[in-house]
Amino acid sequence: MKLLLLEDDLETRTHIVRLLQAEGHVVDMARTGPDAIFLGTTGSYAVLILDRMVPGVDGLGVVRSLRAAGIQTPALFLTALGEVDDRVAGLQAGADDYLVKPFAASELLARIEALARRAPVAEVATVLRAADLEVDLLKRQVTRAGKRIELQQQEYKLLEYLLRHEGKIVTRSMLLESVWSFHFDPGSNLIESHMSRLRAKVDKGFDRELIHTVRGAGYRLDADA
Amino acid sequence: MQTPRLLVSGAFRFAIALALVFALGAVALLGIVEHSVSAYAVEAAGDGILAEHDVLVNEFETSGRAALIATVNRHARAVHEDQFHYLLFDAAGARLAGSLPAAAARTGWHEFEVLDPDQGGSGRSVPVRAFGARLADGALLVVANDISDLRDLRSGLRASTVTFGILISLLALAGGLVVGTLFLRRLDQVNGAIARINDGRLNERLPRIGMGPEFDQLSANLNRMLDRIEGLMNGLRQVSTDIAHDLRTPLTRLRQRLERMQLGTDPAPVPEQIDGAIAQIDEILGIFGALLRIGAMEARGAQASLATADLSEMLERLGQLYAPAIEDADHVLEAAIAPGITVRGDIELLTQAVTNLIENAMHHTPEGSRIRLELARDGDGVRLAVADNGPGIAVEERARVLDRFYRIDSSRSTPGAGLGLALVDSIARLHGATLTLADNAPGLRVELVFPRAPR
Repeated sequence: MKLLLLEDDLETRTHIVRLLQAEGHVVDMARTGPDAIFLGTTGSYAVLILDRMVPGVDGLGVVRSLRAAGIQTPALFLTALGEVDDRVAGLQAGADDYLVKPFAASELLARIEALARRAPVAEVATVLRAADLEVDLLKRQVTRAGKRIELQQQEYKLLEYLLRHEGKIVTRSMLLESVWSFHFDPGSNLIESHMSRLRAKVDKGFDRELIHTVRGAGYRLDADA
Repeated sequence: MQTPRLLVSGAFRFAIALALVFALGAVALLGIVEHSVSAYAVEAAGDGILAEHDVLVNEFETSGRAALIATVNRHARAVHEDQFHYLLFDAAGARLAGSLPAAAARTGWHEFEVLDPDQGGSGRSVPVRAFGARLADGALLVVANDISDLRDLRSGLRASTVTFGILISLLALAGGLVVGTLFLRRLDQVNGAIARINDGRLNERLPRIGMGPEFDQLSANLNRMLDRIEGLMNGLRQVSTDIAHDLRTPLTRLRQRLERMQLGTDPAPVPEQIDGAIAQIDEILGIFGALLRIGAMEARGAQASLATADLSEMLERLGQLYAPAIEDADHVLEAAIAPGITVRGDIELLTQAVTNLIENAMHHTPEGSRIRLELARDGDGVRLAVADNGPGIAVEERARVLDRFYRIDSSRSTPGAGLGLALVDSIARLHGATLTLADNAPGLRVELVFPRAPR
């Protein structure tokens, strides 16, 4: 993927660029807000990764300018400003996701993947499939190999999120945010407990596991692994 | 040369203004007195002249011109305290009697000067006031009276008006200066105290200004403010010390781990060592985050952007999120959540508060303990409780667990920075709610009571 990174701190910039390049991404770098606006309007990127506090125009201003220019490229704020109000301000300016520094590399990569996937068109599918697993979004019915699986509401939401990001890593905080709308990590193994219940229903007793734990990062639903 | 400090001081200006006001008041008062006294004297003198004139007219009308001339001459000769002067002209303008100069031959009231007849014509001239009127036969009768006493009275009054005005102004000025100097001296003491406080002696307090209850109230209020500032500063110092202290432990462990990795003395595989180091950093960051949140909350105080927060929905959601983890930790989760309860508040902060309470209950109770979430209306207010049937907290420890970094000795072995309840307390105060720790017999019952629920 081709990505744009706006970050003024050299060490952080180098670190993130190496990280992204190691994943096979192509990264354009901007050090100031005006540079980022220029690159964002002229280049074609899958995701914009923007620091909030940079020289010139700050990250909020960059997103506002790009959105005003009709550029809808998904934008991820990367920032040390982690308070609730800061996050709300970021999302209101037109960003799509918000990651507070310091962050885990896996978290950044997973969120970039999630954003890039979501970009092209709104999902209109009414049935999500992975291998022999099928989720009917209208009837809210889950079947695997033709067998009905009864899921509780939260297990269903969890599975739907995994399926929508099939093949990609989803992190604990992504799940906390999207399934439970919690924007902080309480620390306990909350997601692990939910996931083990979901697995017990979706994977147990079938020949192949679909839900995989990615060590130190999160989970991935994968039909081909 | 430097202007003396007193002359530029507020006290001096105050004294000047005071003196001016007094002087104006004195001048106005004496002016009014002078005016009314002299008006009275003029009127009295006029009455005397008119009465004498009437007597003479009467004489003329009853006894004729000759008798009038005789009477005028007799009266003019009489030595009298209130000496009148006369002039009688016939219709043709010939003098019949009296000593007044011909110029005085006018009708109506008028004033002029005559040579004092008492001093034989050589003396000074004296002011007189005269009234002239024609008699029935056309003769002109003028009666005049010496008004030098009146003049003296007036000028005397004027002089004393000026003298007293100046005197009173000087007195007011002196009084103002004395009061001002006293005041300056007191203020100097207060300023000295403030200077010492600015130099870092935070336990110094302002002296009483002592010139009235208002001033004492001012210094008392300032002292209260200083108490509060000192309390905050001490709190801050305490917190910094605590932070330094509590961060030293995980930072030391992290350093040791990195050194072991450098030396290659740790038998664990490198990825695991790195995982451990990252976990330690996350723990440190977690402590920082919680401190920042408490600080930010206490700083913004009542200005928090409060909206309607649905407590029922939030507790249900938290319950669902925690249910599996609580079950996996061999605890039992119970919930008694009344629907549709809202408060004015920040839902994220409130969620964080309840999360901390649930985490505390999970981590500080043995397996098999019950954790109970309750939400109910309580009169006008709302009562939210997280209760467990674990070991509880001893009465004497309950107040202290709200302090930042305070940890009950028995919980030192479990992870955590001891910031949980301090954070909950801050959030509660921000929402005007009270946090109480009660005995759940057995166990701990933490209650958040919100004063008033909107309909």
